[in-house]
Amino acid sequence: MQSIKLAWYNILRNRRRSFFTILITIVATLVLLAGGGFGLYMYQGLEEESARDTGNLILTRSGYFELEEDYPLQYGISAYKDIQQQYLKDEQIKAVLPHVDFQGLISNGEKTAIFMGKGVEHGEFLAKGPFINFTDGRALSSEVESGSDPEILLASGLAKNLKVGVGDIVTLLSTTTENVMNAMDFKVKGIFSTGVPELEKRMIYTDVTSAQSLLDSDLVSSISIHLFDIKQTADKLEQIQTENTDVEVTPWWVRAFYYRDVKNLFDRIFALLGIIISLIVFLAISNTMGMTVMERTREIGTLAAMGTYRYEITRNFTLEGLMIGLIGTLSGILLTLGLIGLLNFANIEMPPPPGSTQGFPIAINFSLELTLLSSVLLTIICAVAAWLAARSGSRKPIVEALSYV
Amino acid sequence: MLRFENIVKTFIQGETKTRALKGVSGSVHRGETVALCGPSGSGKSTLLNICGLLDMDYQGDLFFNNQKISKDLHLSTKIRRERIGFIFQRYNLIEAMTAFENVEYPLILSSQSKSERKQKVLSILEQVGLAGHEYKRPDQLSGGQQQRVAVARALVKRPALVIADEPTANLDTETATVVIDLMRELGATTQTTFLVATHDSRMTERCHRAIYLRDGLLVSKEIEHLEPQKFQKLTSGAKHAEHQIGMV
Repeated sequence: MQSIKLAWYNILRNRRRSFFTILITIVATLVLLAGGGFGLYMYQGLEEESARDTGNLILTRSGYFELEEDYPLQYGISAYKDIQQQYLKDEQIKAVLPHVDFQGLISNGEKTAIFMGKGVEHGEFLAKGPFINFTDGRALSSEVESGSDPEILLASGLAKNLKVGVGDIVTLLSTTTENVMNAMDFKVKGIFSTGVPELEKRMIYTDVTSAQSLLDSDLVSSISIHLFDIKQTADKLEQIQTENTDVEVTPWWVRAFYYRDVKNLFDRIFALLGIIISLIVFLAISNTMGMTVMERTREIGTLAAMGTYRYEITRNFTLEGLMIGLIGTLSGILLTLGLIGLLNFANIEMPPPPGSTQGFPIAINFSLELTLLSSVLLTIICAVAAWLAARSGSRKPIVEALSYV
Repeated sequence: MLRFENIVKTFIQGETKTRALKGVSGSVHRGETVALCGPSGSGKSTLLNICGLLDMDYQGDLFFNNQKISKDLHLSTKIRRERIGFIFQRYNLIEAMTAFENVEYPLILSSQSKSERKQKVLSILEQVGLAGHEYKRPDQLSGGQQQRVAVARALVKRPALVIADEPTANLDTETATVVIDLMRELGATTQTTFLVATHDSRMTERCHRAIYLRDGLLVSKEIEHLEPQKFQKLTSGAKHAEHQIGMV
């Protein structure tokens, strides 16, 4: 207790220097927490986007993602409606959505282009939320009137290429599961923007039934299971895989290539940032404590003369470093919380990231784990820097220390 | 109480060796106040440091209550902590602490209870005339008051030996007299042994004995109750010092 009191007195002794040292620790904490928190916010956004895009869990036939199909739906799943009915009863499951992936040619009668198609159910647009941005028209209808052409959604680049708009008719040409060419007319229901330039020129959506008719099959390529809570993914993965041994269940993160690349890159950037910040704090505290130890050499000599053991002298200085670290990190945490509140209030928009056409609001996630890790790391760095400086000071011969001016 | 035999101390600076003490022997008895006199560079501070176990790098033997003191760092620290008090020329109070805390510090090192510490500290501060100044920091006290705090700090744990290095050198005559009398009074009541390095004749006059050093050698160890005039001659390093000592 006395050591803590003495350490506190010594911090107050040279207030200006202590203030600036604490300020460095505050800024370091703020940079680590704000930088890390922003990274976590981005990871969270990408995780949710990836899971929303593919579904939290993807059910396919075994080897679907690794093997190339010889013909459309070669590795398709049959009786998908049974699976859909089975899992829609689960309260943790938000949606069970079948997909039919197919490719072919799209024509307006005069001009032809390549398309990448996805057959989806109407529920896709309800369950996934605004995953595509409509520039014109609307989402696919839940049911198409009998006698009418099936509906199609075109990516804006493709629509522009074919010079078609909402209400126009386009023809899709694809190979059936029997390796026979098949063509169907579709009515353009909507034009959308994905935000990804490559997809803008190729992507189309139609309903599952129409896609199956074009391919002349009742199979689906995959079934996506969307959960209410992304954190349940691992538990559900185990459960569904156990219940369905004939299908392969893939969690979203296995198929989230963009998310993984971005996370790897940012993990490295944040690690480097952390190392640089830690080094700055270490050097700042070493400098401050080194000066403090030098200035108090005679005091160290006096304490040693009175019978204070070396380790006790070192401990007192280490406590000073520890206190500076604690005050700095606690203040840094408070400042970060203030910044989080300010950003929430100000709602500042970030520019679109590379490969995207849409910006996103800047925010910082508060993570208890990150806070504890950063605080403990910085406080330990402060204590170690102080300990190293004090160690050399306390080893000076007492007589030499007493005569130090 | 304290005995030193054939103490030799050599300082090495680069390739130059300087012998500060050239085989000094002597003793100090319990309750005695002994002045260590001599001109600058005579080796008195060096001897004082060795007797106070501050410097363990010497040749010869040191006995404390007839027990030979080993040169072990930990053991010497333990002895200083429990049995030796120090008074320095420049007071050497801890700036961050109040007068009370400075005096309390040696008691904290000896693990005494808070209430016991408080009672002892207040009592000794009153004895040195600093009642009412307990919570002032050193920079709020005069030189004399600071030295009185230093005296209180040295004596509060009731040490067997107090080592004082020029305790009155930075004080005016009046304050110096007060500090000297204080040391004597407190020393007498607690049977504390004082070994005081000094140039100050007022200090030496009030000591039981004086040990005179010159050029690292003990010239005399039995100079009792020196008169000020004779003391002046001795400490000024007169050519015929040995002769004069012989006359005492």
